[in-house]
Amino acid sequence: MNCAEARELITALVDHELHGSERSQLESHLKDCARCQSILAQEQLLKREVHAEGAKLHAPADLKEKILSDRRIFPEQAEIPRRWTSRGWLADYVLRPAVVAAVLLIVGLPSLYLLNQRSQPISLAALETYSPFLRGDFPMITAQSADEIKEQLMRAAGGNFEPMGYDLSAMNLEPVAGAVREMKGRKVLIAIYQGQGLSLICYTFLGTEEDAPANAAVFFDPGKKMNFYAFSQGGINVVFHREGGVICILASQMPMQDLLALARAHARPA
Amino acid sequence: MAEEKTSGVQARESFAREAMVHLDHLYRVAFHLAKDRDETEDLVQETFVRALASYEQFTPGSNMKAWLTRILYNFFFDRYQQKRRWISTEAPAEGQSDYWERTPSENPGPERHALLKELSGQIADVLRKIPEEFRAPIVLVDMGDFSYEEAAEILSCPIGTIRSRLSRGRRLLYRHLERYVGIKRRV
Repeated sequence: MNCAEARELITALVDHELHGSERSQLESHLKDCARCQSILAQEQLLKREVHAEGAKLHAPADLKEKILSDRRIFPEQAEIPRRWTSRGWLADYVLRPAVVAAVLLIVGLPSLYLLNQRSQPISLAALETYSPFLRGDFPMITAQSADEIKEQLMRAAGGNFEPMGYDLSAMNLEPVAGAVREMKGRKVLIAIYQGQGLSLICYTFLGTEEDAPANAAVFFDPGKKMNFYAFSQGGINVVFHREGGVICILASQMPMQDLLALARAHARPA
Repeated sequence: MAEEKTSGVQARESFAREAMVHLDHLYRVAFHLAKDRDETEDLVQETFVRALASYEQFTPGSNMKAWLTRILYNFFFDRYQQKRRWISTEAPAEGQSDYWERTPSENPGPERHALLKELSGQIADVLRKIPEEFRAPIVLVDMGDFSYEEAAEILSCPIGTIRSRLSRGRRLLYRHLERYVGIKRRV
């Protein structure tokens, strides 16, 4: 192989798209060719810079508003509710018989049950740590990279399960810290994402869908054949779902519809 | 009947919300295809309109980001590009001395570091100077994180074309940016 023949193959190598004999031929050529090694380094640098340039660009807020209020896209609503707690959303769901029944059931429960902290689902117990974590009240694991945080959390969980490790960089959210806490006798892995003034906490633990609060709204995703449970508490929106025997709770102050879409986009069917 | 209608409306709305997750990505692609902000926003908004009009054709569980990007790209050509795709207007001549014939400075020094900082500000401008046929694969693969196969599907061309256009496109890009990456000619 000569340098001219190596050109396109270097591009494919930079993109992790070079396999088999082409890859071994190029690797063999690179061992003895300082010039092509430099070209490889240059092209890797260029790709990184172009990627970083792209990541800086975001759709303007007014475009998002225009799309959300475009009746050709969302024909059934003149206005999309911005918050989970908005009147529009409540009107949609409170009027459903199943929701009414659930609310009546909850209201009818003995007050002692409601006051008993031990009866609180683990999902709500986890949520109570949301603000303290963001304020820095609890000790956290910080690391140089997302992989390092993930590795430390996995180790803390004794290898039984691992944090979801979602890549939320498209939303400009990067993992900045992690923590492990014992809640209701179970280990909960906590990954904190932040970026552009937004925070999101991902709680992961072993459990079942019974761990979702009884009054959560349930959405079934027919594509992924998964249930997503949505609820709000104290101005924080939460989406709960299960991947096999592992529960993932995403909590954030971002609008519920965005959080739900985010969870559905990243959830992996077991 | 009424239940079916409600279910259809919910499925459509659910699809629309899921599609919104990809808004930033679509904006990025449109930004580097279109000539100005109005055209960029028009491209993105119309992509959502077209996607929702045919959302039933989307296979649940398949790659929504790629599906939406293909709609955006097709719409871009339908509306703004009357010329045939994949016709080169500024392909680098083979054998021409370019960055492949040069090596990076061994010791870049503080000046190069300063130039590197300026580099990111230049990339968007320089991308606009590159013919669309080379720019599109760069935007899809380097910014959109698509595989060659996905990019080929979106651009309706063979995978080999993606590889060669990327290779030549990056050379063009590098030629415009060489001042910022501090390379020197081989002696």
